[in-house]
Amino acid sequence: MVSEKKPELGSVMVIGGCGFLGHHVVRLLLRDYTCAVSVVDLRCTRNRRPDSDAVAYYEADITDAEKLESIFAKAKPDVVVHTASPPAQANDSVSHALFKKVNVDGTATVVKACQRTGVKALVYTSSASVMSDNRSDLINADERWPVIRGKDQSEYYSETKAAAEELVLAANRASESPNLLTCAIRPSGIMGEGDTMVLYHLINIYRQGRSNVQVGDNDNLFDFTYVENVAHAHLLAARALLLTAASKTIPLDHERVDGEAFIITNDSPVYFWDFARAVWAAAGSPHGTEHVRVLPRGVGMVLGALSELFFWAIGKPPTFNRQRIIYSCMTRYYDISKAKKRLGYKPLVPLDEGVRRSVKWTLEQEHMKQQ
Amino acid sequence: MGAAKKAIYYLFHPNELRSIIQWKVWHEPVHRRDPSKETPTEKACFHYLELTSRSFAAVIQELNPELLMPICLFYLVLRGLDTIEDDMTIDIKDKEPLLRNFHEFMEQDGWTFDKNGPNEKDRELLVHFDNVVTELKKVKKPYYEIIKDITIKMGNGMADYALNAEHNINGVNTIPEYELYCHYVAGLVGEGLTRLFVTSELANPQLLVRMDLTESMGQFLQKTNIIRDVHEDWLDKRRFWPKEIWSKYVDKWDDLFAPEHREKALQCSSEMVLNALKHADECLFYMAGIRDQSVFNFVAIPQSMAIATLELVFRNPAIFQRNVKITKGDACQLMMESTQNLRLVCDVFRRYARRIHKKNDPRDPNFLAISAQCGKIEQFIESIFPTQDPKKIAAGQKAANEPGMDTMDAVFLVISALSTLALIGLLMVGLAWFMGARMDKLFNNLDQALGGSVRSPAPVLGGHEEL
Repeated sequence: MVSEKKPELGSVMVIGGCGFLGHHVVRLLLRDYTCAVSVVDLRCTRNRRPDSDAVAYYEADITDAEKLESIFAKAKPDVVVHTASPPAQANDSVSHALFKKVNVDGTATVVKACQRTGVKALVYTSSASVMSDNRSDLINADERWPVIRGKDQSEYYSETKAAAEELVLAANRASESPNLLTCAIRPSGIMGEGDTMVLYHLINIYRQGRSNVQVGDNDNLFDFTYVENVAHAHLLAARALLLTAASKTIPLDHERVDGEAFIITNDSPVYFWDFARAVWAAAGSPHGTEHVRVLPRGVGMVLGALSELFFWAIGKPPTFNRQRIIYSCMTRYYDISKAKKRLGYKPLVPLDEGVRRSVKWTLEQEHMKQQ
Repeated sequence: MGAAKKAIYYLFHPNELRSIIQWKVWHEPVHRRDPSKETPTEKACFHYLELTSRSFAAVIQELNPELLMPICLFYLVLRGLDTIEDDMTIDIKDKEPLLRNFHEFMEQDGWTFDKNGPNEKDRELLVHFDNVVTELKKVKKPYYEIIKDITIKMGNGMADYALNAEHNINGVNTIPEYELYCHYVAGLVGEGLTRLFVTSELANPQLLVRMDLTESMGQFLQKTNIIRDVHEDWLDKRRFWPKEIWSKYVDKWDDLFAPEHREKALQCSSEMVLNALKHADECLFYMAGIRDQSVFNFVAIPQSMAIATLELVFRNPAIFQRNVKITKGDACQLMMESTQNLRLVCDVFRRYARRIHKKNDPRDPNFLAISAQCGKIEQFIESIFPTQDPKKIAAGQKAANEPGMDTMDAVFLVISALSTLALIGLLMVGLAWFMGARMDKLFNNLDQALGGSVRSPAPVLGGHEEL
């Protein structure tokens, strides 16, 4: 890498650049590319680069169109990488409103700002969950699979991500601004340093001594993706869009990046519970699988329903429900040939190394909190 | 196993017994050689084939007649080379030219070799090698050139290894060295076979472009054998497991076999299994290129046996104490599944990949990489035989959005089916009645059978009439 010349990306703005994925995008921009980097985020205190990296930080709410446009006018980005999104955890009406506001309205504002200020390339972080109805298996699914919308989409978060993706892709070569090229990245199961969801929950399960239960037969493959690989894919896409913008002709359909969505994974699906066990082992679990009891899916569903009923009776949201059971028994893995062919994507960090790094970081964070 | 022990074993493993019987009774070879039309030298060649190969003799003899003799002879020539290389009683000064010039000896009429030590198990083959020489002359030129080319490469490779003192004392060090060794003993054979298959038009010529697939076939088989035979090779003071791998787990090679290092040894063996498993998907890809059933059987049987063997040796401490091998019942089951089509062979690979994943231990440093490798095999199989069809899923989505339609369709379908049945029934009954059938009798009989609630003279009448 040292001897090779780093590819140029001009001026790059990372929206949500202090967030989990966003700050890795910033890190890779500084490491692997020649470019000027600016960041827009709600707060720019956490995950902030040292001043020596010369990253320009702007605090703004992306639904504030006026403010956003003034920042765009100042930073003059050629490329915008839009990673901002609220965590998908809660499922109440307050968070639904937030999903709608940030994911759909916010993205619409970002698209507008790009169109008005002559941005050349917009890369949007969508989610592989837009293709899942949260019930059915996705077996080696690729981009030909339909996006699940409306009442078929039981997760409102995924509905808003899909709506935003649609907005972004519709803006590609749109009449308002024919020079703006866009694409969407759909990562599956992101985990890594800075992750407060997947790993945090899994490690909690181990701490509470609940690593001895396995729901289902564990033959279901699942795609988890190390965050650095997701960030890498975004930047490959940005580069491809810039190259397309620079060329006179519109690329052939099977080479096209602009106006397209790309599923991104670690290209190594693993059995669902194996992933959990790898995390537990990295977190220091001394167990093999001898202590594990298998709870058949059917039994799990009954227990889930009982739990829902009980919590309904006492008027609280259930901590354990049928959706949990469904998720842990669901096959959900993807074929990423399209990203490999058109973006030249290949994961930089293999899955086991990604798990080791991420768990190490999570444990260090805990340690720091305790002190 | 004694007969009584065997009987008890099969009493508790009826499925295995069933597989053995099924194979023995129902297996119908695609081709069968016809000894009545064979020359004495041909017969002799098959005799030595059966003498020298346990696993390949049967499948070779069922090959397409076009390749039957060429592959039988190819096998015997390589076996002859191997018999010279293996024999430690032959001085290296004599051995080297024998190996390097073997392709010339096999062209000399009447050439035989009787300098093998008395205990060399396949010495008889070389003592009567003139039979092979005679038959080789009859082989079609393109096939013969392939056999000769591989013999030259193999002979030189063997001679290089025999001269390599470092290899003979310390065994294999790095992973590339390990794979190079596997290339010489198995990859080259694969190269020869693929060229024979393509030249005879029994396989897709693309296989010659993708020679890496052929290489994977050989690597997969050879690595599996090396893992399985580790104990036997250790007793013979030979080491094929690369130091680059085992030195991560133990300090000295012998430690691998010491009971106090058993867990470390198991972790080492799982890295070896992981290293072999990486070829599995390419093996399936290769087999998709075979166009002839007998050739398919010939290549698929050893591959299925290999994945089953990998599952058997995976996290199995017995491999450090004794020889392990798959049971005869399993072998018969695998042979049955490997002599039909690629889909069934894929099912075998998926089944064993899942079994390997079930035995995987989270404490093993290779745990997640092994899980991913099993996942990769499953994903590859999905890519050639997809379970889901995106068009159908999209269509299902649309249908679900117009719910009235398909439930109404179903109702109409059921109603129309039922009314058709009713109509046909009525027509038949009407026709029967028209032709003079006594319906009243039927109903009366029915009534009586149900307890005779309706009073009627009919039974009596019926009775009389019949008399």
